[in-house]
Amino acid sequence: MPSINVNGVEIEIDEDGFIVDPDQWNEDVAKYFAQVEGINELTDDHWKVINYLRDYYKQFQIAPMIRKLCKETGCSLKYIYELFPTGPAKGACKLAGLPKPTGCV
Amino acid sequence: MPKYKDMVQPVRATDEEMRHIHIDPVPDDEKCEKALQYLDEMRKKFRSFVLAMESCVKCGACAENCHTYLGTKDPNNIPTNRAELIRKIYKRYFTLEGRWFGKLVGAEDISLDIIEQWYSYFYQCSECRRCARACPFGIDTCEVTFVGRQILHWLGIVPKLHAHVGAAMERVGNHTNLPKPGIVDTLEFLSEEIMDEFGVEVPFPVDQPAEIMYIPSSADFLLNPYTLMGAGMFFTYIGASWTIPSTVTEAGNFGLLFDQMFTQRHNVTRLLDAAQKLGVKKIVWGECGHGWRAAKMYIPTLADRPVRWPITHLHDEIAYYIRTNQLKLDPAKNPKPVTLHDPCNYARACDLIENLRTVIRASVVDFREMTPNREWTFCCGGGSGILFDDPEMYQRRIQLSAKKAELVRATGVGANGDGILCAPCSICKAQLYPMVEEHKLGVEVKGLVDLLGRALVWK
Amino acid sequence: MSYFILQILPYVTMVVFTFGLLYRLGRWAGARIVHDITLSPFPQSNTQVLGIFGAELIFFRSLFSSDRALWVGAWLMHMALFAVIGGHLTGIYFLGKQFIYIGTSENLSEQLSALLGTTMGLIMFAGLLYLFYRRFAVAKVREVSTLSDYLHLVLLLSIVTVGNIMRLWEHDLGITYAPVKDYVTHLVMLMPLPMTHEVFTRPFFVLHLLFVQILLMIFPFSKLMHVFGMFAERWIINRVYKEPAPGLPNVDVQAARRAGLGLPSSEGGV
Repeated sequence: MPSINVNGVEIEIDEDGFIVDPDQWNEDVAKYFAQVEGINELTDDHWKVINYLRDYYKQFQIAPMIRKLCKETGCSLKYIYELFPTGPAKGACKLAGLPKPTGCV
Repeated sequence: MPKYKDMVQPVRATDEEMRHIHIDPVPDDEKCEKALQYLDEMRKKFRSFVLAMESCVKCGACAENCHTYLGTKDPNNIPTNRAELIRKIYKRYFTLEGRWFGKLVGAEDISLDIIEQWYSYFYQCSECRRCARACPFGIDTCEVTFVGRQILHWLGIVPKLHAHVGAAMERVGNHTNLPKPGIVDTLEFLSEEIMDEFGVEVPFPVDQPAEIMYIPSSADFLLNPYTLMGAGMFFTYIGASWTIPSTVTEAGNFGLLFDQMFTQRHNVTRLLDAAQKLGVKKIVWGECGHGWRAAKMYIPTLADRPVRWPITHLHDEIAYYIRTNQLKLDPAKNPKPVTLHDPCNYARACDLIENLRTVIRASVVDFREMTPNREWTFCCGGGSGILFDDPEMYQRRIQLSAKKAELVRATGVGANGDGILCAPCSICKAQLYPMVEEHKLGVEVKGLVDLLGRALVWK
Repeated sequence: MSYFILQILPYVTMVVFTFGLLYRLGRWAGARIVHDITLSPFPQSNTQVLGIFGAELIFFRSLFSSDRALWVGAWLMHMALFAVIGGHLTGIYFLGKQFIYIGTSENLSEQLSALLGTTMGLIMFAGLLYLFYRRFAVAKVREVSTLSDYLHLVLLLSIVTVGNIMRLWEHDLGITYAPVKDYVTHLVMLMPLPMTHEVFTRPFFVLHLLFVQILLMIFPFSKLMHVFGMFAERWIINRVYKEPAPGLPNVDVQAARRAGLGLPSSEGGV
């Protein structure tokens, strides 16, 4: 298993670069992933999406329906793609420390 | 591991992940011997496989009927050559001519390289069966892919995606790891959305005593809101007593795609348990192609007990209510030009062809057929769950969808950038959402019940 | 040598062919039809299934739709082959006088038999040549071909070439029906022929029979098994399937709409 080092802490990631143990997540990890994904700066809107995903995940152990994510954060899908170029599943979920979505998605 | 000796391969499951789906991977030095043992078992069991091994004349008719070959131009992606990857081993060990004349008839010794070839090419085949339709004898190469994937599974070689799906299904009852609270929250959210957009009250009963058990695709909970909404609106509209079982929120059955023994049967057992527990009278299936094939065609032979529940597809039911004039529909609510992608499993394995048209013609104003269509449909390129998204395999998906893109373009529905590509299957949707962008088709991908729900006239 | 090919080898051929065939078909029968893999649209009755079998057998329907260029050659070749086999059986049995049963004179019947045989033989030759050409010329066909695919065609072409030579130069190189009928009768009755019999003096006849026997001996161990494979495969993928009845339990749409289900203002809304 590959791993990354964020501020001296070894964090395991899978082949797709997703964090293996969501409990190891912190804001620095999100900043690290932002660099990997080519996002220069995490704005308030980025954090709004990330925090919503984390809260939802904490409550339901799953990412929300994309439509719900858009509605609750007030960001259109297009805008989410602007914020996270690889999209809500591969981009936003990775930054938020959620596991990679599986199935026919 | 995206490449092995110049062959693309999907990222594979780790040994630990294999153990989650009840397989102890076979060490490399035993793989060849075990592969032969499993191949021997399969050939003694499946006549469809034996016939594919023994009666192909290599006429080449399958080549240009396969979207995988058309998209990649890789000779090993010609259906008969893909089958040849196993056939040459089969000949060498299980036929007289192969043992005696070897090279002359194309027999070959097994090796790890051959097994790696199987992994690469059997996961580029989408098991769409167009080659079976095209073959003058009806040889079904899909059966060869099934056998190849089964052997690979027993050896411990399965794509990470398929292994994750298998483990998630066993853990929570769907492919996306969606637990019951998430299911209920999403359905409540959709009820609100329906009220906002259509002004009607549509509840989504979960685990309620009911007459009908509806099996949605779990991808609908994350990606396809209108598919779930449409189904809920239909059931409410006709006043059905229906429920979604939280233990099986999955129309798909990836067992069909990588393990037709334990995994597929286990999922069937789970479904029948749910039906029994809820005391339903009928099971209605959601929009999922391979899952509908697994349900309609395989449950009778995989259920190890009497199946008391008729199982029908949502669109068989909707078409019935349309034909009997019981639904009031206003096609004008779907004014954009629409074309229909026939999912391969509906069209060639389940005979769900005309009913799709009954529904779509009643629901939209401007419906344009694709050519070829019906049982000659070309696959979306994602069939059998080859929705891999590492860079190499993603590129391959673009190639595999090239033929479909060409056909969609030819219908002209996307000419003004506002067309709809109706694809009533979760794998097709997951494949086509990004592919219509990659190929710049000017269409939006929708399910079929999405359009029906929008067209319902409530007053 | 001629004596061996015409008097001893045929029995070896028949044993190899028969037991080889039984061995192969037995292997097929040993494996089972495990799941329902019928191809849709599903036939609704056995009559429709027969229709599918017939259309595939007589017209090569699937191939017609999937690969027209191949269909032309394959269909012509096979139809000529069926005609030639039928011609051999009837021509030799009736000594070329089979057409008197449809009202021709004996003379005309013999001429017709010769004309049809020659024509079909040439069509088959052309068809085989075309299939051979495709194996070299068409990239996708070249890519699926192995050595044995070419050798099959070489063998078939040899048989047909010799047969056509015997037809076209009948008086010099061919043979008439009568001695052949005599030969076959003796063969079937297990009675040896005298060494002086005419069949032994016709080298092209002997060669023709040698090639045919080679073909029959490799038949059970080769792709020629597609003759039986087609029926066995279609027996699996073209079966009757009856749909379960549509209609949902205890659903009354009219009552539901009267009650206004789903409408927020309604009393009956859920």
